[in-house]
Amino acid sequence: MSRKTNYKIFETPQFQILSEDQKEKIYNGMLRTLQYTGAHVHHQGARELFEKAGCKVDGLRVWFPPEVALKALSSLPPVTEVFPWDGDASKKIVIEKNRSYFGPGPTPPNFIDPDTMERRPYLRKDATTVARVCDALPNMGYVQSLGSISDVTNGLADVYEFADMIRNTTTPIMSWSFTRSGCRDIHRMAVAMAGGEEAFRQRPNYIFYGEPISPLVSDFHAIDKCIYCAENRIPQVYSPCAIGGGTVPASHAGQLVVALSESMVGVIAAQLISPGTPIIIGGVQSILDMRYSVYSYGAPELSLLSAALTEVVHYCGLPMYSTSGCTDTKKMDMQSAMEAALSINAAMMSGANFVHDNGYTESGLTGDIFQTVMDDELIAMARVIEGGIEVNEETMAVDVIHNVGPGGHYLYEDHTMKWFRKHWQPTLMDRNSYESWKEKGEKTMKDRIVEKTRDLIKNHEGPWKKVPEKVHKEIERILKEAEERIKKHPDK
Amino acid sequence: MSVDTTRISEAIAKGQMDELQAITQKALDDKVDPGTILNQGLLPGMDKVGQLWREGEMFMPEVLRSAKTMSKAMDILRPHLSEGDLGSAGKMVIGTVAGDLHDIGKDLAGMMFEGAGYEVINIGIDQPNDAFVEAAIEHKPTLLGMSALLTTTMPRMGEVINSLKESGIRDQMAVIIGGAPVTQEFADEIGADLYAPNAGSAVELTRQFFHR
Repeated sequence: MSRKTNYKIFETPQFQILSEDQKEKIYNGMLRTLQYTGAHVHHQGARELFEKAGCKVDGLRVWFPPEVALKALSSLPPVTEVFPWDGDASKKIVIEKNRSYFGPGPTPPNFIDPDTMERRPYLRKDATTVARVCDALPNMGYVQSLGSISDVTNGLADVYEFADMIRNTTTPIMSWSFTRSGCRDIHRMAVAMAGGEEAFRQRPNYIFYGEPISPLVSDFHAIDKCIYCAENRIPQVYSPCAIGGGTVPASHAGQLVVALSESMVGVIAAQLISPGTPIIIGGVQSILDMRYSVYSYGAPELSLLSAALTEVVHYCGLPMYSTSGCTDTKKMDMQSAMEAALSINAAMMSGANFVHDNGYTESGLTGDIFQTVMDDELIAMARVIEGGIEVNEETMAVDVIHNVGPGGHYLYEDHTMKWFRKHWQPTLMDRNSYESWKEKGEKTMKDRIVEKTRDLIKNHEGPWKKVPEKVHKEIERILKEAEERIKKHPDK
Repeated sequence: MSVDTTRISEAIAKGQMDELQAITQKALDDKVDPGTILNQGLLPGMDKVGQLWREGEMFMPEVLRSAKTMSKAMDILRPHLSEGDLGSAGKMVIGTVAGDLHDIGKDLAGMMFEGAGYEVINIGIDQPNDAFVEAAIEHKPTLLGMSALLTTTMPRMGEVINSLKESGIRDQMAVIIGGAPVTQEFADEIGADLYAPNAGSAVELTRQFFHR
């Protein structure tokens, strides 16, 4: 048999928004902004760190010369692994270019009650619900809480959330905190789950999420937590919510430049503290709807901007934190499905590393686990497209075609037996005949989503019982100490 | 002498700042009653903008530009106005509470109030509770606005209201609050007079509040 020479294979679809020249231009725009505009850094220690590295500092303002930015980019790790605390290899995360993991998002104040389906404040028990449901969903590669707990001591929502979530799922968590102290408590719990400091360093079991303020402001706590994560080699996200036309230019290229520059402040800080520490950037990229003054989570611009930023972020050698599966609707309806379907597919094609907000409704103000369950199915469908088509002698099956010939069928061919199971099977989409659909109760998509979600809440226990008793005790101790800490220093 | 309401309305809607200032100055020079300039010229012009916005003909950046145009004309007009001319559109102190550096929502609301004829004193972001009280004592506003984007900083708004009470000046002004996590229930809980879900509705809700 002879082989073809210069044979080019596409294993997966090729999707691109920007050309190499456009990416370079936006990258240069970022370097120009950091050098000539700079950023506000509300943290004296960080400003001193930047000044020592060669930045110009005046008051809160820091200007970053290109060599400082380039040095930070040169010490990034090309690949990082995050490990499920129970060692389940199927849930391991590999952070490298064009490998995507989807998950929910952090901190909306409201939640759709799984029983009443009404909006209400997010409660402590919801963190457990989200952790367990996501633990069971095969397409959620990491977990965030979909809310900010309202019924614990003010200032400890972050710590309680992590304590409850990490014991209710083995899927790696992406946590957040108000301050360095919360960050430290969370880290202590993660270390307890990993089995010690050294074990955590070898096999980090969570990712930390932090956020600067757009435009070009790193507030004290944001940069303080970023430094803490770098010191402890905790993989972290440092990404803004850039509001097109509000906090960044209304033109998309301008938005990309500012969004990238804001995140770079965290990248530079982290790499100065600990070269090689993993950091992920990106964030929510969408437009301010100028009629309703709403930061739109369902706008097609969200997908366009996120995909373009993914390309530029990868151009910088960084992993991308992108957005999908979210909606501006208040209640599950066709709009929520339409917006989620479009953004999930675009995010998948873009190759973003972490894609968050699957389960955000009401423009990011309400978490909805039903939306997450629907998104899980959409992600599975997008993965089929992302999987591409294998083209070779075996898959072209010219010999099988010859054997079956004109007429006939392929139903019980050996070749069919081997290949048909690769076809994707839905868990929510309806493909029944009219008669059997009627017989099964004429269920709509909404009925099926609600049924599946409630079934998971009721029947999927999660790994709580697998957590050793002494680790449970340690976590409870950390929670008690956190209560004492917040009593003494409510703002630290 | 009367005012050319058509020209004023057009200058406001198109955001022609210099033009509107010139018209306002000319009307004052022509000895037109300042209250007439405001109530028959500028405010109806801004009302028209509000109407166009509600109808989807104008968008927020254009409305803000109109509000800024209006406020620049007010700078010229205000020294000539008596208190009666202003009606409820008096002074507003606005800021973001301590620990919170988010300013876009607060700035939007402030600009909308400027557009409604208010003199707005924007005390900025990350303002300690005392700064609100001090500003209230100094400026004697009819309206105090507070904003928070973080659930951890929201309680500061209730503390400011308590401080206003302790200083004995709570009754001298209406308090309006806003910010993404803020709700009507929270406003009721801390004793704020008004809650606006967004900057656009804040002015209208305030107007209704003062006229009820």
